[in-house]
Amino acid sequence: MATAEAQCRQDLPPPGGYKRWALFGGYLAMTAGAGYLYYLNCKAVKITDLEIRSASLAIYPMLLAERDREYLKQLRRNRDEENELMRNVEGWKTGTWYGEPIYHTQDKNLLINPRFQEYYVHASYKDYTNRAHIGLLS
Amino acid sequence: MTLIKMSLSPWLKSPFTDLTGAVVSHQWYGECADFELRALDCLEAYGLDRGLKKCDLLIQDFQECSRKTKQFQRLTAMRLERHRQHFAGERSKENKWAKSPADDSY
Repeated sequence: MATAEAQCRQDLPPPGGYKRWALFGGYLAMTAGAGYLYYLNCKAVKITDLEIRSASLAIYPMLLAERDREYLKQLRRNRDEENELMRNVEGWKTGTWYGEPIYHTQDKNLLINPRFQEYYVHASYKDYTNRAHIGLLS
Repeated sequence: MTLIKMSLSPWLKSPFTDLTGAVVSHQWYGECADFELRALDCLEAYGLDRGLKKCDLLIQDFQECSRKTKQFQRLTAMRLERHRQHFAGERSKENKWAKSPADDSY
């Protein structure tokens, strides 16, 4: 019994106990230091966020314009493809249903937006499904 | 035509016909709002019987905008023509389809 006590001494507070001010002071100092580091981190994250947000807001109009441009170009490509495809079909006029316009009372120069299926009408089914179900892939 | 006739004027008007009236329309932000309004204005001006003849084109346009039947017929015809050409041998397997539009362009 006596030998065991001599070999293994339990870690105990110093005689008279820890100092009160050391306990609270240590706690406060550590918390203040951690708080300062946290503040630095927060600031860095906020600045990065702001930077990325500004960048995406800045390029958003350009992306939008590029999309619209590509859309219009594709409409022309579709028109040319339709000309080429329906060349031998009797009575067919491009952009109409056998010469009958889509809308009777609208201006001839009005852009009629195709439905999605019509936009992809000349593409293969594979391309169509790839785009149509793009949300399912992610 | 019968649809429009039904939704405009029930032959006997009562609170119950009001309850089941055609309250859903294209007037909420739809691209067909103008078409609908023009057709209905015309019908209102000419009355139902004469209006159905006089406003025929307006009504047709509204229905086309709403149902897109003509656009759908067009694309079916184009698909079928492409298949026909492929089966008739006018189109090889490689150039059966055109290049796909860019994924993010629609």
